[in-house]
Order: sequence, then structure tokens, then C-alpha cells
Amino acid sequence: MRADMLTSILQELNGTSADIEASGIISTDGLIMAAVLPQGLDEDRLGAMSAAMLSLGDRTAQELGRGTLEQVLIKGAKGYVLMAYAGQEAVLTILAKPNAKLGLIFLDVKRAAENISSLI
Amino acid sequence: MAQIDFETLTAHAKSFAGLTPEREALLVEIGPAVSPALPGITEAFYATLATIPATATFLEGRLDLLKQTHLRWLGGLFTGPFDAAYAKAMYRVGHVHVKVSLPVEFMAGGTALIGDRLIAEIDKIYQDDDKLRLEALGAINAILGFSLIVMQQSFQNSSLHEELEKFLKITGMSRNLFNNLAAAYSK
Repeated sequence: MRADMLTSILQELNGTSADIEASGIISTDGLIMAAVLPQGLDEDRLGAMSAAMLSLGDRTAQELGRGTLEQVLIKGAKGYVLMAYAGQEAVLTILAKPNAKLGLIFLDVKRAAENISSLI
Repeated sequence: MAQIDFETLTAHAKSFAGLTPEREALLVEIGPAVSPALPGITEAFYATLATIPATATFLEGRLDLLKQTHLRWLGGLFTGPFDAAYAKAMYRVGHVHVKVSLPVEFMAGGTALIGDRLIAEIDKIYQDDDKLRLEALGAINAILGFSLIVMQQSFQNSSLHEELEKFLKITGMSRNLFNNLAAAYSK
């Protein structure tokens, strides 16, 4: 039931912008809780890598005096990976196109993360 | 220490080092003849280590205790049993070497030093019996090899464990997250 609700939040998130290609909710120890991914993307790798990146981002923000981590953004030639905490126990990861409008995506991701947080 | 199947490790290390039941029996048989020389071998061993700068610093303040432990182990080479409990004790030695940050070459170097001394003793004791001398040397080589294999296995495992702990501490990753990450890339 909860998984369905989480999937529903992800479907809504993916629907808000054509720039969002995939999204997933991951436990902080790297296990997928829900995901809306294109075929060929390995759920387990996405999950573990996202949680690892967020953990490292968290530590980096602390070490370099940047305060509480809000998000980790990775830009590659083929697009973006954006990761943010959804509460204390989960990570929201989205994959976006290279020309994505990040401002709007940040807002949508923040809203989705709050919704996820209230469910977990 | 990690969970280790000491029965399997013992069988593997014995097979690799050529420690056969016949050689085990021979070690016990020659024990009474070799035993009087063992305290001298321990003294010589630590005297040599004290001349090596990389190892001398690890001896300071605990030489007497180390000598006692060493002599007890050396005596055990000629009493047995060379079973899983013996392997477990040797495994602990490797683990302790990592804990006190001894250089990796210490174990192989130390084993070579001890072998060198034991060869000289065996050569002296059995100078009139070529067959027994050769068999005794083979048995000593096998028990030292067996011990070294177990210690090195432990050293490697403990070193990897320590490095991983450092990595987890630095990155803030939990052990579960690391395991899940490793599992995701092991498929």
C-alpha cells in the first residue's frame, strides 16, 4: 500500500516535467523503496549509488562548513542526476535531460520529497 | 576478527605447505631433541629484530612478554596438535600484527629468520643421520609455511577490514549501505 503511494508520488513528479526521465525513492542504506525508471536502468545500482552519493555529499557539506545538506546535483553530458533527502530515512533521486529547467525541477523535487517524508 | 572457517583454512594451508600427518608426527618426535635449543633461537630472533630499524620500534617496552609468547609458540611447533585451534591462534597473531601496525613483511621475514636458526640446529643435531635430517628439515619447512599462510590470510583480512572502516568513517556511509553498494555491482 505504502509502496503504491510512493510510486504514485513518483509518477506525478515525472509527469510535472517532460525533462524528468526517471525517479526513485531509496532508503538511506541504498535499497529501492519505489521507482519509475526507463527499461535498462538497474534499480539496485541506482539505489545504492544514490544513497552513497548523498552520504558523501552530507559529509562534504559538513566538512566544508556548508551546513545541512539539501541536495546533490551531478551534471553529465547527457543530463542531470539530482538527489535529495526525503525525511531522515529516504533519498529521492531523479534523472533529468541535459537542457532541463532546473529551477522548476528543484521546486517539484522539494515538494515531492516533503510528500514522501510524510508517508515514511 | 571476521568469521572464518578454521577447519577449511587449516586443510587448505596444510595442503599448500605440505604439512602431512607423517611430518606432524615427526615434529613431535624430534621435539625433545630440539627443545633445549629453542630459548636460544628466541633470543637470537629478537636480537636480530632489534637491529632492523623498521621492527625495533615495535619491541620497545614489551620485549620480555614478546619473548615468552614467542618461546611458547616455538615449543608448540614440536608438540602439536596442528589443528583448527592452532590455526585460530596463528590467525590471531596476524590480526594483532595489523592492530599494532607492523609492516607486512614482518611475518615472512620473521619466519625466514626462525627457519634459518632451526635449520642450523637440525643440521647439528642430526649430522650423523642424513635421512632424518632431511625429513626433519622438510617437516620444519612445512610447519613454518603452514603458520605463515594462516598469519598472512589473517593479515590480509584484517588490513582490508581496517581500510574499509576508515573509508566508511570518512564517507559517512553505513556498513549496510556499503554492502548494498557492493552487492549491486556484484551481479
